[in-house]
Amino acid sequence: MPRLSRRRVLAALGWGAAGITAVAGGAFALMPTLPPRRPPTPGDAAAWLSLRPDGVFELLSSRAEMGQGISIGMRQVAADELGVGIDRIRLVQPDTGLIPVARSTVGSDAMRETGPLVARAAAALAVAILREAARRLQRPAGDLRLAPDGVMDGDALVLAFDDLGAAGPLFVTEGEVAAATPRLLADPSGRREVGRARPTHDVEAIVTGSRPLYTDDVRLPGMVFGAVVRPRTLGGRIRAIDASACAAVPGFLGLHRDGAFAGLVASRRSALARAMEVLAVDEAEGAAVDSASLAAMVDVSAAVGGLEHGVLDDGDLGDDPFDVDLTLAVPLAAHASIEPRTAVARFGDDGGLEVWTGTQDPFFVRDSLADAFGLSRAQVVVHGMRIGGGFGARTIVAAEMEAARLAKLCGRPVKVQWSRSDEFRAGFHRAPSSHRIRLSADAAGRITRWHHAFRSGHVIFTSAAMGPGLQFATGFVADPGVARGAVPAYAASAARVAFEDVRLPVMTGPWRGLGAAANHWAIETAVDALARAKGLDPLDLRLRSIAPEHVRLRAVLAAAADMAGWPVRPKDRPDEGWGLACGIYKEMSFAATVARVTRTAAGYKVTGLWCAHDCGLVVNPDQVRAQVEGNLVWGIGMALKEELAVGGGRILPESFFDYPLPVLSDVPDIEVRLIEGSPQPTGAGETAIVSGTAAVTNAIAAMTGRTVTALPVGRA
Amino acid sequence: MRITLNRRPVDVPDELADEPLLFLLRDHLGLNGPRFGCGVGSCGACTVVIDGQAERSCIQPATAAQGREVLTLEGLAGAGGLHPFQRAWIEESVPQCGYCQNGQIMTVFALLAAQPDAGAADIKAAMDGVLCRCGTQPRIRRAIARARALAAGDA
Repeated sequence: MPRLSRRRVLAALGWGAAGITAVAGGAFALMPTLPPRRPPTPGDAAAWLSLRPDGVFELLSSRAEMGQGISIGMRQVAADELGVGIDRIRLVQPDTGLIPVARSTVGSDAMRETGPLVARAAAALAVAILREAARRLQRPAGDLRLAPDGVMDGDALVLAFDDLGAAGPLFVTEGEVAAATPRLLADPSGRREVGRARPTHDVEAIVTGSRPLYTDDVRLPGMVFGAVVRPRTLGGRIRAIDASACAAVPGFLGLHRDGAFAGLVASRRSALARAMEVLAVDEAEGAAVDSASLAAMVDVSAAVGGLEHGVLDDGDLGDDPFDVDLTLAVPLAAHASIEPRTAVARFGDDGGLEVWTGTQDPFFVRDSLADAFGLSRAQVVVHGMRIGGGFGARTIVAAEMEAARLAKLCGRPVKVQWSRSDEFRAGFHRAPSSHRIRLSADAAGRITRWHHAFRSGHVIFTSAAMGPGLQFATGFVADPGVARGAVPAYAASAARVAFEDVRLPVMTGPWRGLGAAANHWAIETAVDALARAKGLDPLDLRLRSIAPEHVRLRAVLAAAADMAGWPVRPKDRPDEGWGLACGIYKEMSFAATVARVTRTAAGYKVTGLWCAHDCGLVVNPDQVRAQVEGNLVWGIGMALKEELAVGGGRILPESFFDYPLPVLSDVPDIEVRLIEGSPQPTGAGETAIVSGTAAVTNAIAAMTGRTVTALPVGRA
Repeated sequence: MRITLNRRPVDVPDELADEPLLFLLRDHLGLNGPRFGCGVGSCGACTVVIDGQAERSCIQPATAAQGREVLTLEGLAGAGGLHPFQRAWIEESVPQCGYCQNGQIMTVFALLAAQPDAGAADIKAAMDGVLCRCGTQPRIRRAIARARALAAGDA
């Protein structure tokens, strides 16, 4: 009775209804390769910031930059605490050789977790600098103050920063960081940089190409190019490889094999591509999976009996029919970052390994490589590069291991850059999911009964990172990524939410927002359908039904409605509709969006988007707005365009010709209002994705009178 | 074989003649601006301008540039500093991850250099094929308008 035993394991570990966070922590402990997931400490922060001999403050970042703006934000925080200009803060991207073990850059956590600590480290360093200046000048520290270029006494600069650092870098201790009291939170009047709109870190280099930023910009002496020979089918196995035809390709250097691993190496990329074309591969093909069979595997209506993981079980749902009863489908979808996964690996004469890569988790990469090559952690150094689009795709080890294996086998530094076809075929993807939602409301227009059952491919427990043993072990545990965002923000006297994660023959894993993207689309679709069924305005139904404690959700919803002129919007008609949706991300950030959709000869077109967003303290409003805009564009893609097609046991798309993304003319102007509902930053990288997709599909439903039950909508 | 790269003559060894132009520029000439996104011309990240025309350098052989003038992102700025498109891209804070922005800038630069009065339909035709996954499209639209205003002011 495997189902029974899985339930018993969950119960025994106490991972029940409200234990989603506990599930996450507990489950990670099952993954031995992962580095510690503890939050950063004052001890970590003491290592991040120092005054250097050139008079510049060096800030060693512990979080990856992938366009979410964390680098510029941390520079702003440090600059304000030190009272210096932002150009005096030099940021170094995450490097395992320079910083203490750090968490991965996921979950919109970077500013919330590291921002306050950067502020404390900077506040401590300011004190240490004044103390050092007082010692050198033989003056009371109380007479001195920090200014943009150094230490001032009255109006006179008495010690410049480069003089202060000349004898060696100035650091602070863990104790000093722990004892520091940053101004950032206490005294908003002292803010110069925090709250100021600035473009992303390295923006000049991005628009000029003036210096290396991304992994593909790394070029090492003697470096060659490598590519891995992969099965073409899902679950396929390579039986034999014949590389004899490759020898005639100028620049081809060799086929290297090690067990099931096989890769080609060439001196030029064109030679690599040509060698791959003429390589003869005999493959035992996997099962003939297709999109329809994947959908069937997660189909919630095919589930027998109860779903194994309970999220919420309050009150009695009773036996009365529900006002709405919907079954909704979300397909497989790709990250489709424009930068493909890329890594450069070099073994040194001392046997150590250096890797350059755009990764969300450099320490996971380091530890995995160290384990694979029998090296100590200290013998592997991972240099984090700017990521050309992360979105959850760079959370595991991929091109890094391939580059390192080929570097080991061929004895030279190797760059591996995935082809676009590799990205679709060998990457992992947003899990398909299937949702049944049944809701009822009372005569006063309040939601009374809530039942959401869903099945999904795995998210956190991705088969892309876990072998069969761990897949089996985690088969007993609720995947917290699947569950994210499943707890409704609406009060209902009876509520049941339950789900089941399904191991699929296609690799699925973290995608922007994890399960929250799909779960919120399902929830907000159903709430809208309920409003239609009861003849209520969807704004009114939501405002009446949002649980009383979610004051900030109510506030963003009211603000978005105000921005869009919701109460006075034109009446929905066959060629134009208005929709809204809202949600909470990770119980701490809030977003509500109104969409206007127009039907044209070419299909549905989003012609207006208004979003109110509350992620607490905003360090850089420009970067937070950019994240909101990006999430809403993802909502357009999710609603109207994106499905990663599978057929004949293969991922079918090979390029962007087969995987349409939102393009310039698909995206309207977007109006964003930022509300700072808490004095702490809570995260913006994924928040608005909880509202964008459903706002668009609800607008279509308003136009057509029919609920959108499957994504993407496609042509009108 | 000789090409003109960012206004300077460059000799290209014959054995690299059939290398895709993108890899010639990146791997042999050390440029960072044009970027690899797909290798089949489906995203535009590799765009360069050849004799005034925006081209996807990943599907052009190096020989396509023989005897012609190739302009890349690195060559856009002139003696007077950043090009109006580069300034506008910074002032409108367009880039998120930044990886595709070479293609955005070079494509619209070529379009408006050839067709200064290009309308919305022309911009859609040129720019819809240059993909951005981060969702910078609203800012790209604003930056194009700002760059045109900057250019008009400079004239």
